[in-house]
Parts: sequence; C-alpha cells; structure tokens
Amino acid sequence: MFYLIGLGLGDAKDITVRGLEIIKQCDKVLLEGYTSILTVGKDVLEEFYQRPLIVADRELCESNIDDTLKEAKEKDVALLVVGDPLGATTHTDMLLRAKQFGVETQIIHNASIMNAVSCCGLQLYSFGETVSIPFWTDTWRPDSFFEKICENFSRNLHTLCLLDIKVKEPTEESLTKKVRQYMDPKFMTVQDAAKQLVQIIDNKPDTGIQRTNIAVGLSRVGAPDQRIAVMSLEKMLNLDLGPPLHSLVVPAPHLHPLEIDYLEQFR
Amino acid sequence: MVNFTVDEIRTMMDKKRNIRNMSVIAHVDHGKSTLTDSLVSKAGIIANARAGETRFTDTRKDEQDRCITIKSTAISMFFELEDKDLIFITNPDQCEKNQKGFLINLIDSPGHVDFSSEVTAALRVTDGALVVVDCVSGVCVQTETVLRQAIAERIKPILFMNKMDRALLELQLESEELYQTFQRIVENVNVIIATYNDDGGPMGEVRVDPSKGSVGFGSGLHGWAFTLKQFSEMYADKFKIDLVKLMNRLWGENFFNANTKKWSKQKDADNKRSFCMYVLDPIYKVFDAIMNFRKEEIDGLLKKLNIAIKHEDADKDGKALLKVVMRSWLPAGEALLQMIAIHLPSPVVAQKYRMEMLYEGPLDDEAAIGIKNCDPEAPLMMYISKMVPTSDKGRFYAFGRVFSGKVVTGQKARIMGPNYQPGKKDDMYEKTIQRTILMMGRYVEAIEDVPSGNICGLVGVDQFLVKTGTITTYKNAHNMKVMKFSVSPVVRVAVEPKNPADLPKLVEGLKRLAKSDPMVQCISEESGEYIVAGAGELHLEICLKDLEEDHACIPIKKSDPVVSYRETVNEESDQMCLSKSPNKHNRLFMKAQPMPDGLPEDIDEGRVNPRDDFKTRARYLGEKYQYDVTEARKIWCFGPEDTGPNILVDCTKGVQYLNEIKDSVVAGFQWATKEGVMAEENLRGVRFNIYDVTLHTDAIHRGGGQIIPTTRRCLYACLLTAKPRIMEPVYLCEIQCPEVAVGGIYGVLNRRRGHVFEESQVAGTPMFVVKAYLPVNESFGFTADLRSNTGGQAFPQCVFDHWQVLPGDPCEPGSKPYVVVQDTRKRKGLKEGLPDLSQYLDKL
Repeated sequence: MFYLIGLGLGDAKDITVRGLEIIKQCDKVLLEGYTSILTVGKDVLEEFYQRPLIVADRELCESNIDDTLKEAKEKDVALLVVGDPLGATTHTDMLLRAKQFGVETQIIHNASIMNAVSCCGLQLYSFGETVSIPFWTDTWRPDSFFEKICENFSRNLHTLCLLDIKVKEPTEESLTKKVRQYMDPKFMTVQDAAKQLVQIIDNKPDTGIQRTNIAVGLSRVGAPDQRIAVMSLEKMLNLDLGPPLHSLVVPAPHLHPLEIDYLEQFR
Repeated sequence: MVNFTVDEIRTMMDKKRNIRNMSVIAHVDHGKSTLTDSLVSKAGIIANARAGETRFTDTRKDEQDRCITIKSTAISMFFELEDKDLIFITNPDQCEKNQKGFLINLIDSPGHVDFSSEVTAALRVTDGALVVVDCVSGVCVQTETVLRQAIAERIKPILFMNKMDRALLELQLESEELYQTFQRIVENVNVIIATYNDDGGPMGEVRVDPSKGSVGFGSGLHGWAFTLKQFSEMYADKFKIDLVKLMNRLWGENFFNANTKKWSKQKDADNKRSFCMYVLDPIYKVFDAIMNFRKEEIDGLLKKLNIAIKHEDADKDGKALLKVVMRSWLPAGEALLQMIAIHLPSPVVAQKYRMEMLYEGPLDDEAAIGIKNCDPEAPLMMYISKMVPTSDKGRFYAFGRVFSGKVVTGQKARIMGPNYQPGKKDDMYEKTIQRTILMMGRYVEAIEDVPSGNICGLVGVDQFLVKTGTITTYKNAHNMKVMKFSVSPVVRVAVEPKNPADLPKLVEGLKRLAKSDPMVQCISEESGEYIVAGAGELHLEICLKDLEEDHACIPIKKSDPVVSYRETVNEESDQMCLSKSPNKHNRLFMKAQPMPDGLPEDIDEGRVNPRDDFKTRARYLGEKYQYDVTEARKIWCFGPEDTGPNILVDCTKGVQYLNEIKDSVVAGFQWATKEGVMAEENLRGVRFNIYDVTLHTDAIHRGGGQIIPTTRRCLYACLLTAKPRIMEPVYLCEIQCPEVAVGGIYGVLNRRRGHVFEESQVAGTPMFVVKAYLPVNESFGFTADLRSNTGGQAFPQCVFDHWQVLPGDPCEPGSKPYVVVQDTRKRKGLKEGLPDLSQYLDKL
C-alpha cells in the first residue's frame, strides 16, 4: 500500500491520528521536502514518530519515484507531504503511476493553505483561481499570474497568491550541465511579492489594480506565531512578517461587511 | 635604419593622415619575411639606445629552424616621400599638409594555413595589406584565403610579385611569357577581390592595377623591386610624356614600334609589347650580361644605368654581382615603401568605411562617431586583437589598435571581453591601464599615451581578458566585433601531466596557452580531461611544445590527435516526439528535420544570422530554401552558442504562456545543440520545429527547472527518430609536385579516403598542382607519408574546407560512424552503447 499523508501546516503534532498510526506501522516513510516546509525540522518529526525518515527531494519525487512505488506493492510505504497531499502541491501524477504498477493507494488529508487562508477573514467561497508568484531572474520575468489576479478581481473574487520557495533547486547555469549545483534555500516574502506586483502594476497602469489597493499578507499560517497584516501594496514594500512561509491575498474590490470587520483587526 | 627617440615617434603618431597600418600576407614560402627584412633594413625604426642590434621578424628558435613564421610581429618604419611623389596622393585625408614623413606600422604574419588565425588578428588592426605572390607558383590556396579575409575586413590590398629571380634564372622564361604570367596573377587576384568586394561598396574599387602603380615586381631575396612608376620616371623625360600617361602605356595591350616610333593597341610583326620592351628587356640584359660574365657589356650597362659599384663589391661576379647591381639599380625598399605610402589608406580614410564593420553598437553613438572620424579627442575605443608573451613568465602584453580617443598610462578604462553585453556587468572590468607601450619587433618602449589610428601594447590588461576584447572610456560603449577566423579548431588532443602532482601547473599552463594564441582552445571536459584544440597538426604541435616548455614547464603526456565531429540528421523525425516535464504537467511536441543544402554554410558565413531583421531573413529563407515564410519569421534562436548552424522554429498556433517558457526552451536547445545525443558533439544543419506545447496554468510549475531538461530530452528524441548521422571535417588539400610524383600522390590519397578533384600544370613550369579533399581524420602523418611516397618532392597545404556526412548509420554496430560514436563516447567517459530512445520519448 502506498500512503500519501498530509502533515498539516503548523508543527509535528498537526498530523491526524490516523496518519500517525499509519506512519508507525509503515515499512518505509519518505518526507517530501521541496514543495513546502514545516516550522520544525526532520529530527523533531523523527523523534515524535519514533522512527527514521528519508528526505525526498524534487528529483526523487519527480524522476525517480518509480522504484519506491514498485516497492509499495509488497510493503507499506508512506510519503509525507506538508499541508494536504493534493492541495497546493500536486502529486496526482504519482497516484496515476502507482495505479499503472498495480499499487494500491490511500490518501490521508489534512489542512492546507488553500483552506487555512480563511483565517484572515476572507470567505473561502469568494476565492477565485489560485496563482503562484515565482522569483524573477534577470531574464525570466513572467507576469501571466497578474492577468489571473485581474480576472479574479474583475469578477469580485479574492486571489490567493502562493509565494515561490526554492528548497533545493538547481542553479540556472547547472541546469544545462551534468553535475547539478544547488542554490541556497530561498523563500519569497510578502515584501518580495509586493515588489514584483508593484513593478507589474507600474508597467500596466490600466488594469484596475493600483499600488494603493489593499492586500493581505500572511506568514506561518497554522503555527502558534502566525501573523496577518492588511495594508496597501505600496506599504507592503516595507513590511517584515518574519521567517517563512509567507502567502499573500489580493482581496476582491467589494467586500462583505463581515469580511471588512474581520480584516480591520489586522490593520 | 632610422634612429628615433620615443618622443619623435610620439610626435609622428599625432599626424594621423601620415600613418599606414599594414600587414604582409601570402601563401607559405612565398617570401614574406625575406621581403619584410629588406623593408626593415631600409626604414625600420630603432630607438637610439638599441641601435646596432639586428632584428628579424622571426625571432623564435623554432621559427628559424623550420624557416616559417609562427607568430605575427609588428615593426614600425619611417619613410619620407619626395615632393615629386607627393603629388600622387590626391586624397587630402591621405597626407597632412607639408608633412613628407610617413609612419608605417607593418605586421609580418605567418603564411602556413595552420596559423591563419594570426593573420586574422593582424588584419583587424591594419588598414592595408601587401599581398605577396610567388610569380612562379602563382596564386595558391592560402593566398586566396587571406585575401578573402582581408577584403571581408575591408582591408585594401596591394600586390607584390616576388621571386622574379627564379623566373629568370631557373625557368628562363621569355619576356612575353613572363608578362603573361604576371598578367594572369593580377587577373587571378582581381577575380578574388571582385568576388568578395562590391565596387559600388563603401571601399570603392580595390582591384590592383600595375598601370596605377599598385602592383610591384621584384625579388625579396635579392633585395630589388620596382613598380611601373620607377620605369616611367626613367623614360618620362626622354619621351616627353606625362608620367601617369606613360604608366598606363607600359602595361596591357600597348605595343611600340621602334622603327616607326608609333604606339599601337595591336600586336604587329615589327612592334613589341611596351612592358617587355621598356621594363623587362633592360632587366633581361643585365641578367644576361652578368650571368654570362660579359665584362665589357656589364661596364657599359652600369654606366648607362648610372650605377656605381662600391670598391668592396668590385671583384664579385655571377649571382653575387647580380644582387649588388640590381639592388643599387632598383632598391626594393624604395619602391615598396612608395607603393605603401601612396596606395594604402591612412587610418582617417580607412576608419570611415571600416567603422560599421568594426562596431557592434548603434552607428551614431559617441563611440561610433569617434571611430569613424579617427578622432583622438573622442572617447577611447581600442580593440585588443592578441596577447604577446612578456619576458615575465605568465604575463602578456595586450596588443591592439586605438580606433578612437587616446589610451594613456594610468588611465581608468572599461575592459570588456567578448561576452560583455551593454547594461550588464558580465565580462567587464573597470581598471587602470598600468602602462602603454610601443611594441617594436621583440622589444618594447614605454610611452605616455597613444592616439587614435595607432597600434600599441598595454600592460596589466591580460588578467581581465582571455584573448581579445574592447577597451573604452565611454560608459555606453558596445563591444567591437569579434574576429571571424577562416580556420576552425578541428584537431584536438587530450593532455595530462606525466607526474599527477603537476596538475595545477598544467591548468595554469593551459590558461597561458589559451592567451598566447588567437585560435587555440583549451577545454576542460566534465570528465576531468584537458583538451587542446587547434587548426591542424602543425599548429597543435607548436602549441603543445609551447605548453610544455614555456607555459606549464612540466613534462606532459598527450593523446593521439582526434578530430571533432558534428551530429546531424538525414530525414524528418518519423513521429511527433513528446516529452513530459519531471512534474508531468508540461508537455512539448517537436520534430527535427535536416536543413536544405547550403543553409548551414549560409549561417556559418553570417549570410543568415541571429541579428538579421526577422522579416528580411524570412523572405531570404523563403526565396532561397522554400521555407514557409510565416514559420521562418518565428525562428526562436540559432545554436550552439546562439550563432551555430541549427535553428529552433516556433510552429505552434495560439499557445498561451508560450513566451514565458521561451527562454527555458532556448536554453535547452543551446544545450542539446552543443552536446548532441549520439556522442555529445555539436549539432550541424538541424532544424527543430515546436508544434505544440501543453503547460501548467501556474508559472511556478513551468520554470526553467521543469522546461530546460524537458526540451533537451524532446530534442534528443527528435534526433533519434530522424535518422541521425555523423559529419566529419574535410580539408581542401593543395599539393605541388613535379609530374613524376603525381602517381605517388594518388596512392597516398586513396589510402586515406581522399579524392582528387583538380589536377593542373602550373603554366610555364614543370610543376603540377593537385587539389583534393581529405578527411581531417586521415590527415595525421599525411605530410610525412606524402614525402616518403614521392621522394620528398610533394608539399601539401591543408586548410579546413567543409563538413561531410560520414556514410553509414551510427546506430548500426560495425559501421564506420558507429565506431566513431563509440570511440568518442569512450573518450568522453560516457556510457558505451547507443542512446536509448525510451529515455527521451514519453508516451501520451
């Protein structure tokens, strides 16, 4: 059996009881370590589960997962994913492949930023398409996500913006070489995201979204020290929300009175 | 020799209209260095302190041993025109008012094809070229190569027919025959010039013409030379005819009847070609009298020609006397220097039309205008064309030409390598110029500053540039264009130190070697191998010797030479190739197909290039190669290195976000074209079409990490499904030999897969010229083999000519290309066997 287990957002104890039971009885447990991170490290988890974990990086999950899946035919293997296994991150391909090999699968759900974002008071029902904001480089500056924000905005929907994280990404130069070199881990802050957004807004003044529009910055959602801040994009350029992970919401233009009241406490 | 102080030279440098920067170019053994010596001994500038020492342009011991030039050397000369000659200069930009002295900077360059990169470097910093042709062997392959390069760089040529002594003494040609030989050479040279230059172009007419005085004749070895101007001067008074008119009469179809004193345009029974009568006959007479020891006749002739023989030469006879007489009658230095001063352009004239060929930036910015006007007050623009080793091991002088502004000792300047792009910081340093120096042959003199139009060296720049670069004080300056070499580094060897502990020394030595030669490539493979790549066997031999003795100073083990190959395809991919990104959310659909014949060469030569306007380029591709014009407008890039002979074409229809992955696809394409699927050699002549793309909606899931490796896999799948082929480099080989040796040549060539495509007799000689194509891979030891099979009578010159498909399927074990692929893979430390399609092709 191949289990995909969600770990939730906060710390080691956010795992569900069923999830914990499965981990304890599995022959092999992998921890997916590139799409998100917990506030605690691998050793804390190991101590809590009372068993060793294998960290699975992008290459293992994307390119070399087949062997692990085949192993799951006879044994019980679990892959732990921060948040919900099928939430913001996408492991559907893994399940398809498992089916191909005739491996049975089970999913243990948990909280994800996709639903926990409601902690800022904006109603989940009014969220539009979710986007990610990638780190720009000198030559690669995609802005298609902004079009989607505008579309949501024009239909009076909020946009949840997931911010880029680079846990173990190869450097651009080494992508075209055989020996991979990896960048230092890098997490986009609300401040970085606001910077890129403001640049796009300055280039495209007629989209309806201005520098003065309000935005919601969230950090470490689900953790005890979570922070939420509501202010204009412009002001967000100087905002420090502390350690990762960060997310950003661009609210719809016309809010429900209850939403306004709730946001007010974070101003 | 002329004695000058540095200050006097510096004063000359300001008279930019009186400067001539020139190179001497020719086929190997046509006598460049010998000729240069006769110029230097007449006019070479020696700084006071050094006067008395002898200098020759070939200073390396191996140059003297082998009797060939290996490195180009610069020498400055000073020459004064007489008033009567000054009137020949009509362009006011060719001479400062009331200034008779000319500063001539001459660069003697190697003739052997393996070193033609040195010629390219020399041409870049000069405006004119003295093309030397051996009048016995005529225009040879290297003459054509260098002349073509000169014209492409907008260098104005003048011609010198060398080795007339051989024509007279050895071949005993009749005067009419000799005229015909000259005429043929002039024509051959002009045909080459006409092929590569447009008379209506900015350089105007550049063809050489004896009646204009831009063709010289003589013997560098014996130290005599003349142009028609010299002879016209002798006769002008006697005939009471204008000098210029007479020069026209002395060449071509002009005949004179001595009895009727009438000129005619046709040959009659009793008239004679004027060139033979007035120019060749006197020379023949002198030769005849001296070589046949007719004492009285000699004395009479000497009196007639107004030649006084010095006391110490009085008892000479035969060849020795001939030399003395000819040298005092027609001194080579005088004739050649006049030719150079009158016919070669000054920097002021040349930079006007060369600027657009030299500068990459907008043609109206400050730097461009400065270059165009050769303005010493404009911002500094200097091009470094090569590095010259100093006596201090491991350090180099950066040698180049100031095109605009002044380069000053202690000045702060921007040093930009070939990869610099305006607005970015890569490959650019802001540093102080430690010292500017004058380079005269082997040694150097410090000089305060050097103004535009001059050639000089810089100290302290070598650490920031690999081989070439641009030095400027203008913040927005673009690079000066990089030089295009006529040869490519197709022969390579792997090197390693005999003692493994010496590896750091080897690495350092390779760095120095890369600097010291304009062409050689020193590559460190990912497998840890160190590769030295050069133009040919001889070039590599010299490079490795330098590496061992001068640069690394350690004993070195070298592998047998191997050639680099190219990978290509034979047909269109037999299926639509799909590859999925690692996260499976992105899919690319592509196909490969071979380019039509001629297109890869068009790209090599720059007739089709990434900088073209895309509409013009698409029209050209549509007309010449029947490419669909709408598709041809969407060429994303060329590769490898952004300029190579492979293209990536966007054939998609309405794909969203395509522009956001373009950079990643291009990066993958550059990678795949640089390291092909079969043996990780460069690709050549492959067109890739992108037909469709499926992308994840979210930008984060289609970044470079997802797209670059996927593009490569997809391109590899395209190659494997399009009948991959291997191409090998082929030399054009020109062999001169007597008739008896021709048979031996055929034997050797056949054994080495060569084939002869032309065989002809050199007119007026018993020599034969055989032209053949020879795979570079078969050329190792060719020269020695040829010598032993022809009794040492055949001399080959091999120059890289084209790429040719190695017949056979590289995927079929046992075929020749299969062996090549396996050997290459083994050498590179790759997995042996064939690449597996299923690794690259995904199923839908």
